[in-house]
Amino acid sequence: MSTATVQTHEWVAEFEAAARRPLRTRLRYAFIHTYKPVLDDAAYRSFDAMADYRAWCETNLPSWLGYGQDV
Amino acid sequence: MARTFDYPQAEEIRDALARHGVRYLFLGKSGAILLGFPDTTQDADLFVEKTAANSRAAVAALRELGFALTDAQAAEIEGGKDFVQLRNGPFDVDLVFAPDGIESFARAWERHVEVEGFPVCHPDDIIASKAAANRVRDRETLPRLRAFRDYWLRQRRS
Repeated sequence: MSTATVQTHEWVAEFEAAARRPLRTRLRYAFIHTYKPVLDDAAYRSFDAMADYRAWCETNLPSWLGYGQDV
Repeated sequence: MARTFDYPQAEEIRDALARHGVRYLFLGKSGAILLGFPDTTQDADLFVEKTAANSRAAVAALRELGFALTDAQAAEIEGGKDFVQLRNGPFDVDLVFAPDGIESFARAWERHVEVEGFPVCHPDDIIASKAAANRVRDRETLPRLRAFRDYWLRQRRS
């Protein structure tokens, strides 16, 4: 079996396990807050256009957060 | 600042937005999680239909939920922004009025999915939005998300 196939089987097993859990449990497992520098440092931000938001992320956020197009 | 988003809070936001007649859809990873995608996130992404009346209704609902929006911020949202990030309430919410990769709210609404009363974007729209955004984090998630979409469609057919 190829690596990709093994990976897909593992994912499907995870999807099936998740499907057996009620939504309440899935949400409890899913929403985990971790502090993100800069991003979480303002209570409110707004952008006229999505492109402005993307540009702001590229310029202001640490690249390791993954909000830019390159690491 | 409280920073959890669990089922009771999801119900609160769903019910408050419904009371105010807000047209919206869960999008992004939070939407995928509602559909059954096992992953983690920290905020709820809401795709809100961009009309003045709908934005006003959304502001009213968010204030009712405890988001500390100033009048100036409310006016901005009602005036038509494409993206608003809120960290001034009981949980983190991103309001997305014009997501990348999705043609229109109407088109997304046509094929949206209801999960326990939560209106959620179809997985194809969640994928399209992430593919168009093309951030590092999106590229990391997309292969597994696409596999989930295929699984989800198979389950719907059977």
